[in-house]
Amino acid sequence: MVAIGTLQEAASAVPLAVTLLFFGLLVLLVTLLALEEQLRAKKSVIAGVFAIGCLLLGEALEILPPGTVTIGGESIDLPVYIPAIDWNVLAIIMGSSLFVDIISKSGLFTWIAIVLTKKSRGDPVALLVYYGVMTVVFSAVLNNVTAMIIVGSLTVVSLKRLGRDDLLLGFLLIEGFLTNVGGLLTLISSVPNIIVGTAADISFLTFFLKAGPYVLVAMIASLWLGGRLFGIERLTTDEERDTARNLVDGFDENDSIESSWAFWLGAVMLVLFIVAIATASVTPYIRELGMGYVAMGFGIIMLVRYKSVADKFYQAIDWDLLGFFAGLFVVLNVMEHAAVLELAGGGLARIVALGETVGSALLLVTAALASSVTDNIPIAAMLAKILSGHPEIGGDPASPFWWAVIFGANLGGNLTPIGSASTLVAITIIHKHGLAISFGGFVKKALPFAALQIVLATVYMLAVLR
Amino acid sequence: MARLDQFESVFRAADKPVYAYKHVEIAKILVVTDLPGPEVAEFRSRLQSFLSVLSDDTGAGPHWVDLGVEAFRSIEELLELVESEGPDLVCTYRNLFTRAWARPHSLGDYVDVLTQIASCPILVAPHPKAGREFDHAMKNTDRVMAITDHLTGDDRLVNYAVRFTLPGGTLFLSHVEDEAQFERYIATISKIPSIDTDDAKGVILEQLLKEPRDYVGSCRDILAAQEISIDTRGIVMLGHHLREYKRLIVEHEVDLLVLNTKDEDQLAMHGLAYPLAVELREIPLLML
Repeated sequence: MVAIGTLQEAASAVPLAVTLLFFGLLVLLVTLLALEEQLRAKKSVIAGVFAIGCLLLGEALEILPPGTVTIGGESIDLPVYIPAIDWNVLAIIMGSSLFVDIISKSGLFTWIAIVLTKKSRGDPVALLVYYGVMTVVFSAVLNNVTAMIIVGSLTVVSLKRLGRDDLLLGFLLIEGFLTNVGGLLTLISSVPNIIVGTAADISFLTFFLKAGPYVLVAMIASLWLGGRLFGIERLTTDEERDTARNLVDGFDENDSIESSWAFWLGAVMLVLFIVAIATASVTPYIRELGMGYVAMGFGIIMLVRYKSVADKFYQAIDWDLLGFFAGLFVVLNVMEHAAVLELAGGGLARIVALGETVGSALLLVTAALASSVTDNIPIAAMLAKILSGHPEIGGDPASPFWWAVIFGANLGGNLTPIGSASTLVAITIIHKHGLAISFGGFVKKALPFAALQIVLATVYMLAVLR
Repeated sequence: MARLDQFESVFRAADKPVYAYKHVEIAKILVVTDLPGPEVAEFRSRLQSFLSVLSDDTGAGPHWVDLGVEAFRSIEELLELVESEGPDLVCTYRNLFTRAWARPHSLGDYVDVLTQIASCPILVAPHPKAGREFDHAMKNTDRVMAITDHLTGDDRLVNYAVRFTLPGGTLFLSHVEDEAQFERYIATISKIPSIDTDDAKGVILEQLLKEPRDYVGSCRDILAAQEISIDTRGIVMLGHHLREYKRLIVEHEVDLLVLNTKDEDQLAMHGLAYPLAVELREIPLLML
């Protein structure tokens, strides 16, 4: 158990002016994160600057407690920013991204992607369904950015091969919207899930069983809507079907497999990884070590296979994301001591007071709107921190308010091109291949999808998860 | 977005041109010579024996039309005759109406123009009076070699080479990457600090040679599926075009060389074809 001062004592001692000062800094941080692209600054740098600034200001204003950590009854003095970081979350992200990158090298994901392309026989509707399912599953198993990169790049190559460049924009947008649906499937599918799920103490299996039905329904509905809005239709004549089949038959699914041994090792390890993560909360010894241990463990085991070139895989780790997290956790910790979260919690308390039906629905929509204009991670982290301090919700993993944040933070990313990293990848691919879409144009096309998914999520949450 | 490019590369590499077999119909052959009547028939007779592959099991073959020294007096007249006859193949030899065949420096006006204007392929046999041909030349076509510097996806070249390969014979599909050009690019890469020269050299060469090798594999599979009984072998390498092809022809005792001569971007003969056609005078060439 780790105790970092006493929040209530610290909060009551903070003058309102100091709280408002830090609240202003938090608003500024969220604003700058929303303008990340325009500022040409990485998230880690923005969050890092705020972290060192907030720490210094917090010390100067004497709101930070001494960094005393109590482990097994023994007190250890550490700088306050060390225990401020949720190392378990960082270990999950770092370990799983390392693991996924090594598995990618085995050719497993590209093999699956090409086999499905060939199975579609080049028919646009079949291709849309296969790519849609693949996007959701890859987003769930890997992460939504990697899923968008894999499926998006295959979409470009296969549609160009089929001479169907006219469908490229529609396919890429639908896939982008589905990444955030797929990101809801498991506890480790997206960063907001990890943050909120661990804060709420929702197990992997519970998360999957509760989110799974929604993901299935939202995927089918999104594919149906996408097919209609972008005019994706089946091939009509035998000649068209024969030509399309011959064209996709040219893909060789075995081309990227360096060795069958590595391929099968990758497949087996991926299954074991999912099983280990799914059962981490009930497996003796592992339960105490947490999911971060499982993720790091699998990452390191896979590195043994490539021990002589292990350093190449370190380059593939998303250090920007990890740095951003570290900075964000530090900022949120300082905000906690500056009573900013208590202040923001006051606003949230009014939403919670509306009851589980209206309150959770409103929270979902609010979280979605907030996540559409800025990074969903600080939104999820801040809301999770506030909810975990709520006397009724904090100790209740089944509360719909947790799911409101999870659904809202994930699905809000579909409203704007800056709402999530995976839709940003979709836009990057679209621009790379000479297709024009403006911010407003994206919102116009995204609105029906986001509205459908958010309405479905609200209904599902109120009808099933409450 | 380096990872995006990585995955696009993986999928582009997996997207391989698949060979499409198409039977080449040769129903009419025009024999163009500068020989008097009886010698034309003798030359044609040698060609008929050499191209026995074009006849079916019953002995029925294409219709042969002879053009001797009296048939035409200029390139224009020859082109008119070719157009009016509409052959599927023209058989001739280099340096018609000149004695330049004695020196290995040209093809002659007639062959130059024919290869670029006639819509059908031109078979250029060794000159009947030169006496330079290899011992195995002009006997049959049981060892045919298709040559190119871009084999991948060239179904037409392969289909013609297949058509001229005797059943039970061997078809060599050869692709030689120009070594001098490759080294020039690598020399440029070696001056760019952000690119590891050794890595670049290795992976570029591997990919350059992998594509034609994969295509040869596809040709082999498709021809087997079509039950065409020829032994298809791939020769894919880095080297000097002329030197390597000369060596390969001797080494494999090639009876017929099949090569592209037309270039969409220019009126003159394809860059690789002309020096090869001028210097490779010991065996017949099928110029597409």
